Amino acid sequence: MRVFLICISAICFITAASGASGASGAMAASTITIVTDSPPITMDPSGSYTDSNMGFMANIFDGLTERKGENGELKPALAVKWERKDDLSWKFWLRKGVKFHNGNDFTATDVKFSFERLKKPEVSKFTDFGNQIASIDIIDDYTLEIKTTSSLHWFVQQLHMLFIVDKESSEKRNQGDMGQKPIGTGAYKFKEWIKGSYLKLTVNNEYWAGKPSIDDITFRAITETATRFAALVSGKADIMGGVPVAMYDRVASNSKLKIVSRPARRAIFLMLGNKPGTPLADAQVRKAIAMAINEDEIITKIMRGQAFKASQVPDSMTIGYNPDIRRIEYNPSEAKKLLKQAGYANGFDMTLSGPNNRYVQDSKIAEAVVKYLAKIGINAKLDVKPMSIYGPELTTGKLQCGLLGWFDSTNDLSRTYGILFHSFNKEAGFGSHNGVRYKDKQIDEMIKKANQITDTKKREQHLQELNRISIEDKVLYIPLHYQSHLYAIKKDKKIRFDPRPDKWMVAKEISLE
Amino acid sequence: MNKSFFKSKHWYNFRREPGAVIGSLIMVLFFLAAMFAPMIAPQNPYDLTEVSLEHFLLPPVWMENGQMPFVFGTDDQGRDIFSTILYGCRTSLIVGFGVLLLAGSAGVFLGMLSGYYGGRLDAFIMRAGDTVLCFSTSLLALFFLGIMGQRGVTMVIIAICISGWVRYARTMRGSTLGVKQEAYIMAARATGASDPTLLLKHLLPNALAPIFVVMAVDLAVVIGLEATLSFLGVGVPLTEPSLGMMIANGRDYVYTGMWWMVLFPAGALIMLVVGINLFADWLREELNPKISRKT
Amino acid sequence: MFVFIIRRLIQCVIVLLTVSLLCFILFQFAGDPVVNMAGKYATIEDIERVRSSLGLDKPFYVQYIRFIGNAAQGNFGMSYVSKMPTLELILERLPATVELAMTAMCIAFIAGVFLGVLVSLKPHSVFSRSIMALSLGGISIPTFLMGILLIMVFAVWLGVLPPFGRGETVNLGFWRSGLITVEGLKHIILPAMTLAMFQLAVLLRLTRGSMREILTEEYVVTAWAKGLPPLKVIFKHALRNALIPVITIAGLQIGEMIAFSIVTETIFQWPGMGNLLVRSIFETDNPVLVTYIMLAALIILAINLVVDILYAYLNPKIRYE
Repeated sequence: MRVFLICISAICFITAASGASGASGAMAASTITIVTDSPPITMDPSGSYTDSNMGFMANIFDGLTERKGENGELKPALAVKWERKDDLSWKFWLRKGVKFHNGNDFTATDVKFSFERLKKPEVSKFTDFGNQIASIDIIDDYTLEIKTTSSLHWFVQQLHMLFIVDKESSEKRNQGDMGQKPIGTGAYKFKEWIKGSYLKLTVNNEYWAGKPSIDDITFRAITETATRFAALVSGKADIMGGVPVAMYDRVASNSKLKIVSRPARRAIFLMLGNKPGTPLADAQVRKAIAMAINEDEIITKIMRGQAFKASQVPDSMTIGYNPDIRRIEYNPSEAKKLLKQAGYANGFDMTLSGPNNRYVQDSKIAEAVVKYLAKIGINAKLDVKPMSIYGPELTTGKLQCGLLGWFDSTNDLSRTYGILFHSFNKEAGFGSHNGVRYKDKQIDEMIKKANQITDTKKREQHLQELNRISIEDKVLYIPLHYQSHLYAIKKDKKIRFDPRPDKWMVAKEISLE
Repeated sequence: MNKSFFKSKHWYNFRREPGAVIGSLIMVLFFLAAMFAPMIAPQNPYDLTEVSLEHFLLPPVWMENGQMPFVFGTDDQGRDIFSTILYGCRTSLIVGFGVLLLAGSAGVFLGMLSGYYGGRLDAFIMRAGDTVLCFSTSLLALFFLGIMGQRGVTMVIIAICISGWVRYARTMRGSTLGVKQEAYIMAARATGASDPTLLLKHLLPNALAPIFVVMAVDLAVVIGLEATLSFLGVGVPLTEPSLGMMIANGRDYVYTGMWWMVLFPAGALIMLVVGINLFADWLREELNPKISRKT
Repeated sequence: MFVFIIRRLIQCVIVLLTVSLLCFILFQFAGDPVVNMAGKYATIEDIERVRSSLGLDKPFYVQYIRFIGNAAQGNFGMSYVSKMPTLELILERLPATVELAMTAMCIAFIAGVFLGVLVSLKPHSVFSRSIMALSLGGISIPTFLMGILLIMVFAVWLGVLPPFGRGETVNLGFWRSGLITVEGLKHIILPAMTLAMFQLAVLLRLTRGSMREILTEEYVVTAWAKGLPPLKVIFKHALRNALIPVITIAGLQIGEMIAFSIVTETIFQWPGMGNLLVRSIFETDNPVLVTYIMLAALIILAINLVVDILYAYLNPKIRYE
């Protein structure tokens, strides 16, 4: 008992002591702590394609281009301008006078080195990009020409996530070192990374776009939802990304915090297989499933209002977005009727798969969908698992019906459709994420044709038509909603921060009033 | 057997020990609740047509906005907490008794062989047992499930059994060694009884008492372990009820003041385990004071 | 004695080899890590290229032999996810875990033995009975639940202790310590209590049982009768002997300690090895898993060996031929 009392008094003492020290240590330099929901995986910018890791990297590295503002407009970064010379070749003029954090000059050789490095699957997760490149010709130190293997409209649209590394130091170091000590050209220099705890960055005074407003940044990743919330209310975070939706009301009612809900581009949707002979092959059955789902209820109860109903996978910024598509609305009695007409009055069995650690409330959405299906008589088995297990099932086409979130940072529908809905074709690289192995000749042809049209306007019309047919006629997939991301900002520091639609936390965009 | 049991000294001692009585009452209560869950529970939380998002996150009935029949409130999918606890206890007890059965029979069998035949076989079994035991049941189960990547009640049972059998084997081996030299075994062997008959008919019944003690202790440990594994996300999958999973799920809501999603299942789990432990404590003292509590 | 140690060492090596082999066999049933590694955009060709670059297309036994060969040189391979040497990743987090486990063990041992002695002296007092009732709770409440309940009380309702992380740490060359700053100490209280609680209850019960037996021994009774000071009797005569089984068990609990530190670290976001293990499980990062298991096996076997040797040394009755 005495031990217990001693512990308690020790606790009280320590608490009192730290309270005092905390008050005296008022902030002099501009330092902020940003709490996010997933930790950095590696400091090698080509080592991870997750939003969160690319977000960390965007502070230390630059791409040839960058995306800015609410709509994610493409802006020049390390390249000052670019030009599409013909179907296959692109010319880039690079920014002069940029230095890497180790003092090396940034030149065209670094770009060539960085892009060619992306081809190596041992170090790169962007092999798709690496493989698009046929050749890179250095014209002079600040000009280069890239030839692609096929005609790609969106080639330049993806450069903002392909960061440029220093050739000289990278060649000297091994992969382990590359993954721990990043050397980039970005607005912040790497200071310290304690895995599982924090990542500290310090300002790059010679940044080419001017020194950012805040001197020191600490990123803390807290994966547990409840713990993240505790960190926020106890004042451990100046800015927090990934505020749990379940706690929206609590955060919103806290007078010390400002909450920002940023509509994000990612759409959550259900993929449906159409293997001949299965109930799902019938478009009417697919339509019945779409009608069974009460999306409004999912948005209010599971997403707590932090989502917008989607009528299609692409968002309005994407080429191929079709504002005229009519969403199939909730109508359970009509759904039952359709099922009866299709000969499934007594329902049927199916499996709905999905991730449980990837998107906001992902497994809960899947669980709700299964419940709606049960109400029209379809007996769906719920099969949710971590993304690391679900991902391979998706890419190897083992699913019958799968929940997925998607946004394409290239802003182009044909790439999205090629990956998600084109029938699986190993050689041509189509349908790599067609986890349900949907197969439709008409859709395949339309996707292929889109890549051959050079006229921008005509191409857009074609893509819009493709989009409409796949939803209204074929019910190829069932769009659910676009998810919003929640951010909380502590008011007392007078932080100016406008969250990005791609979920990246870019510190140079944060400033103090 | 019954009549003599009620006159026995065990029954007498049992009645005089409040801990044992309370413990076994709790156990019986939980067994009945789990067994008749479909009849008692107002809702089958895993029948999807019955659960609806309409009733999500309701507080317990005695609080503002509470609604019947959701006595202990509902979770974020609209499942009744009380019903889910009943179904969760089912899983707990199925895993618990599954392990007792599987690990128990495997352990008893191996322990008997080990003690009866001795020699190399004995050395091998006991060495293997020492090894798995020094890794601890929880650690092995966690590793196993982590590597396998498959979830489910059967997987959990298998995972716990990997090292669960050892204590039974050790206990059984000890008893066998003790009984082996007794006169009646010698006599049976002299009359030409075969080894299997000898082991099953004569040895086993006389060596069972300490096994019951190990079982009682084990049941509590296994139920706690199943909850832990499910909590970590490597145990029972989301689609099956489990107290550990309920607590993991409710944990996200603790900070928003929705305590009922954690405290009720936690209370049920603690009550069940404490009940079993109370009973096990008594049983140990009663049957075999020499077995030390080692998990 | 020498022969005994050599024999135990050989045994340890056999166990380690078996453990690694079992891990490898189990991985054959687990999901395909290559698909994840190659990336979201990878084509089938890329996937095959990654597979061969990692040697995962080779037959099972070739992979295994290569792993053993490398492991003997301290190279356990690269993490699939972060592409860094797994041993480095794990060892980097070792100090956090060791500090947590040691703190918990100290709390459990000191409080467990102390309370155990108190309870054994007056077994029927109200105090003893309530301590025993609490210890029943200690062995019955699973660690994860203990953690959540402590967080609910001390971090959410009372708001006096931080519910996550390690606080401020100081780098002492090769060791990053959280025990020398006030913030760090504050952060370790809840997780250490969580981890200690179960062990505390176990050790308390053991001490009590063992003390009760010894207090009835003749030499203790004689010591009382001689009128020696009570503290001297309790600590010098009784406790010293009562502690032998307690220490043995405490040493053998190391496996449990590791298992529950995994749980505790997950709940408190403690940046230790256990936290990494759980993450790696969800990311199917097999090399990290194997390295962790091998390391855990090594630690457990080493500690068991030390305990055995000490035991043989202390207790001349036992002979190891």
